[in-house]
Amino acid sequence: MSKIGVFVCHCGENISATVDCAKVAETAAGYDGVVYSIDYKYMCSDPGQSLIKSAIVEKGLTGVVVASCSPRMHEPTFRKACAEAGLNPYMCEMANLREHCSWVHEKGDATTQKAIDLVRILVEKVKKNHSLNSIKVPVTKTALVIGGGIAGIQASLDIANSGHKVILIERDPSIGGHMSQLSETFPTLDCSQCILTPRMVEVAQHPNITLYTYAELESLEGFIGNFKAKIRRKSKSIDEKLCTGCGQCTTKCPVKKIPSEFNEGLGKRTAIYVPFPQAVPNKPVIDRINCTYYIKGKCKVCEIVCPTKAIRFDQEDTIVEVEVGAIVLATGFAVKQPDFFPEYGYGKFPDVITGLQFERLASASGPTLGEIRRPSDGKIPEKIVFLACAGSRDPAKGIPYCSKICCMYIAKHAMLYQHKVHGGKSYVFYMDIRAGGKMYEEFVRRAIEDDGVNYIRGRVSRIYEKNGKLIVKGADTLLGAMPVDIEADMVVLATAGIANEGSEELAQKLHTSYDSYHFFSEAHPKLKPVETNTAGIFLAGACQSPKDIPESVAMASGAAVKVACLFSQDELTREPLIAMVNRQAAPVYSSCVGCFLCVSACPYQAIEREEIKNRNGEVIKTIAKVNPGLCQGCGTCVAFCRTKSIDIQGYTHEEMYSEVMALLNDY
Amino acid sequence: MAEFEPKIVAFVCNWCTYAGADLTGTSRIKYASNVRIIRFPCTGRIDYMLLLKAFDEGADGIIVSGCHPNDCHYTSGNFHARRRWIMFRELCDFVGIDINRVLFSWVSAAEGAKWADVVNTTVTKIRELGPYTEYQEVAKYPVREVTNG
Amino acid sequence: MDELRKRAKELLESKKVSVVIGYEEGTGDRIRALFVEKPEDVSRLIFDSRCVLNLATYITKHEVKAKGKMAITATIPVMRSIVQLAYEFQVSDKNLLVLGITPESNLMEFKDLLEVETYIHKFEIEINASYREKLDKLAAMTQAERWRFWIDELAPCFKCYACRAACPMCYCHRCTVDFNQPQWIPVPSHELGNLEWHIMRAVHLIGRCIDCDACANACPLAIPINLLNKRLLEDAKKHFGGYQPILKGDHLMSTFKPDDKENFIR
Repeated sequence: MSKIGVFVCHCGENISATVDCAKVAETAAGYDGVVYSIDYKYMCSDPGQSLIKSAIVEKGLTGVVVASCSPRMHEPTFRKACAEAGLNPYMCEMANLREHCSWVHEKGDATTQKAIDLVRILVEKVKKNHSLNSIKVPVTKTALVIGGGIAGIQASLDIANSGHKVILIERDPSIGGHMSQLSETFPTLDCSQCILTPRMVEVAQHPNITLYTYAELESLEGFIGNFKAKIRRKSKSIDEKLCTGCGQCTTKCPVKKIPSEFNEGLGKRTAIYVPFPQAVPNKPVIDRINCTYYIKGKCKVCEIVCPTKAIRFDQEDTIVEVEVGAIVLATGFAVKQPDFFPEYGYGKFPDVITGLQFERLASASGPTLGEIRRPSDGKIPEKIVFLACAGSRDPAKGIPYCSKICCMYIAKHAMLYQHKVHGGKSYVFYMDIRAGGKMYEEFVRRAIEDDGVNYIRGRVSRIYEKNGKLIVKGADTLLGAMPVDIEADMVVLATAGIANEGSEELAQKLHTSYDSYHFFSEAHPKLKPVETNTAGIFLAGACQSPKDIPESVAMASGAAVKVACLFSQDELTREPLIAMVNRQAAPVYSSCVGCFLCVSACPYQAIEREEIKNRNGEVIKTIAKVNPGLCQGCGTCVAFCRTKSIDIQGYTHEEMYSEVMALLNDY
Repeated sequence: MAEFEPKIVAFVCNWCTYAGADLTGTSRIKYASNVRIIRFPCTGRIDYMLLLKAFDEGADGIIVSGCHPNDCHYTSGNFHARRRWIMFRELCDFVGIDINRVLFSWVSAAEGAKWADVVNTTVTKIRELGPYTEYQEVAKYPVREVTNG
Repeated sequence: MDELRKRAKELLESKKVSVVIGYEEGTGDRIRALFVEKPEDVSRLIFDSRCVLNLATYITKHEVKAKGKMAITATIPVMRSIVQLAYEFQVSDKNLLVLGITPESNLMEFKDLLEVETYIHKFEIEINASYREKLDKLAAMTQAERWRFWIDELAPCFKCYACRAACPMCYCHRCTVDFNQPQWIPVPSHELGNLEWHIMRAVHLIGRCIDCDACANACPLAIPINLLNKRLLEDAKKHFGGYQPILKGDHLMSTFKPDDKENFIR
């Protein structure tokens, strides 16, 4: 038998100025099941809350309706008060008489009638409410960080420093990512390696971080707080425990002509190699595709010269299984090769290069030891042209979005060129200059004013070779589209930043969303940039969208805090307003027919299959089951279910039906 | 003769439209008092029978409102709802249910003024259309009182 | 249909299947469904132009499934129903063998459901001309006229649920109309009860109905309820490009496109 208490608030004068609160309370007192109905000036105040609490105790109330402001304001307040008096907090509902009634209508009978109706709706609903308890899910306090670039490194360090264990996996032989390929960073012209390598070393030495390089995620199961990941550690063909990193093998390896990935194809490496001198871990791997031993069964020079006998040609991949509570995705970005612009001649003319290739030329550890030299003949270019937006902001051929970092790195590249090649002339063909960060605009101004870089607003239609020079045909739109032809020695294309290779597969393994460009999707573009819709998976860095180093670092720290918050509890407490599939006695087991249409409706993959077995272990039927750890309580599955086997607490079929019936009967 | 005051039920989602309606209140924007809101976690939860039930029980008009596409608090509830509504409108139109009496809208938590506009427009429209007697006539079937002691 | 009988006999004798579902001669020049379990009974199997009953409605019944692996004589509409049921996890290659009947009335046995799917995708789901005429006529009426049409048309319905029983996609053992906590759809056969039942049945078949007309054929009062389903089929084509039953993938109503038309939403 329901015993409902109705508490109508005046909210000072906010409600009582237009609504006859006494009449609302009086009318409510006449409803079936309502045993107590009063009005009071300030329900949310201490005396007001005491009124509710004493009524619960004295009248044995089974449900409470507080008719006052918006539940978005005070639902937690009144639910807490009810809980303190011994009534399950989910038996308390609020009727919104203020924001939805008294504040938006004139004083009069119609307004009071509306208030009465709003109260009646919730009185009938609360009669159908169920007592609910918060759901508790245990948490494994280890984080998995996928991706060892600056974002992954930062996130790992922050989580590790907060006292939790981190497993960092990186698919390249070394951590560092694109930042390790840069020469200097904008806007400070800091040496990139100098600021990055201390962090890389910290990661390697941190007691809380387990680093697996040359490793990828094989599979993932589970849910927030309780993931089970399988990591494939690709075989490096080295026993890492024995290897001292002396480098004898790489010096003696006879296969020396493999294009170096780290140097963006401008330099060469050996088959057994360390990607760059500051690599962490500084241990080589054997590239089995190009190694003579794996192709022909001959050579083995590295094994012969290795002082500690660390070479293991028959080593196989290993799978490591780990249990983690949260995952941070920091897989970074890739550079879109501009060969889809045949008019620019990338791939045809060796002196047309990408921005990242220019970084390698400018870098002291690069193929030209920091001197800007033409890849074709090694000469120093007297005239260099930089093309902005070579692939970005181009819906027709490239990608429609802006890659964000190019305007800044072009200015940087032009400045580096001017610093290294005194007397050289540099030109930048641009559409707009996007320099929105701290000290960014000043940096670009320096390039133009102090270093004499020529900025030309216009696009380049064609680049072709003539007499050993690259003729760049562009236009200057600020001078009325006047044609500008430059006889350049080298052209640098500012390529588009795209999602890294394998992003789609990784997102699918993790059941996390990605957009049409394969960047991972954040939960909310404004307010939840580091979370995803998959509970327990967080984002850091350029894998979400192109961004520069300070933003990547900030985002990584943000993701780390989210992980630390998650790990700050031993158990996750969640609101119990989630979906449930009914269960009945045998032989029905559930009215669910196992069509699993609900599975496709759920944005959180929270619906699983449960096999109902008989005593012989044979499966009788497979029906749906909601994972309480994952369900966020949207109710879309409930509207999908034909048999109405799935229902959502707080908004059950009974409750919503009662609301509609209560409203319209007696309206 | 009293002017016909339409009875309008609004099925709204908690995260956008309900909050938007709260904002209308906080901004003290006045609108017609014919609408009563029923709160849902998401427009995805709203199924067809709720709308038909509202007409069954005497509503003259219905408003269904939620978050803008791409802004759904639960990512995709409103997308599913939208597809549902597209088909539902077609079916209702085919059967002769007056779909002009059902108004769908996207009202975000920041659009307090829009909510007031949606309500006022709907009330004016339904007032013009008059009470939904067609439906209410067939809904007036005798209901037996349950008498058990 | 000697080929069919021969194959059915082979399957039963070799115990590859336990029951062959097909058609047999009924009373009064009508046909009815046949469940052959003994090889001798295959002589009762027939197939001719009267055989439009959708046999797929039987393969979800536990009484039939309990017999063991089933074989079913399937024309194209039946094949479509089978694929849709497989999509909804109600049948699989483990418990069903499809003995297809081509439009030329030849036997075409399928190795597995994937082959059935490939085959049915060659044929579009088309609404035939006479129904199209009826749909156009209704579209030309005003809203009030359509309302009157349907209220009057549905008035004689006495909720026998033959339409539900005949439809292969209506396999839910607790139908939405049976759900009574609360009772959403009125059960009695008055105007509202009839209207809402048929609306909701049509709604639950969006994206699943394959236009076999079993419902209208089963109705003892010959009420053209299949017009509702056909209209929704057309709408699915108009708005979402139509659909075909598939074994895996996205269902019409469980997917969405970010640019679904929404010119009716404020």
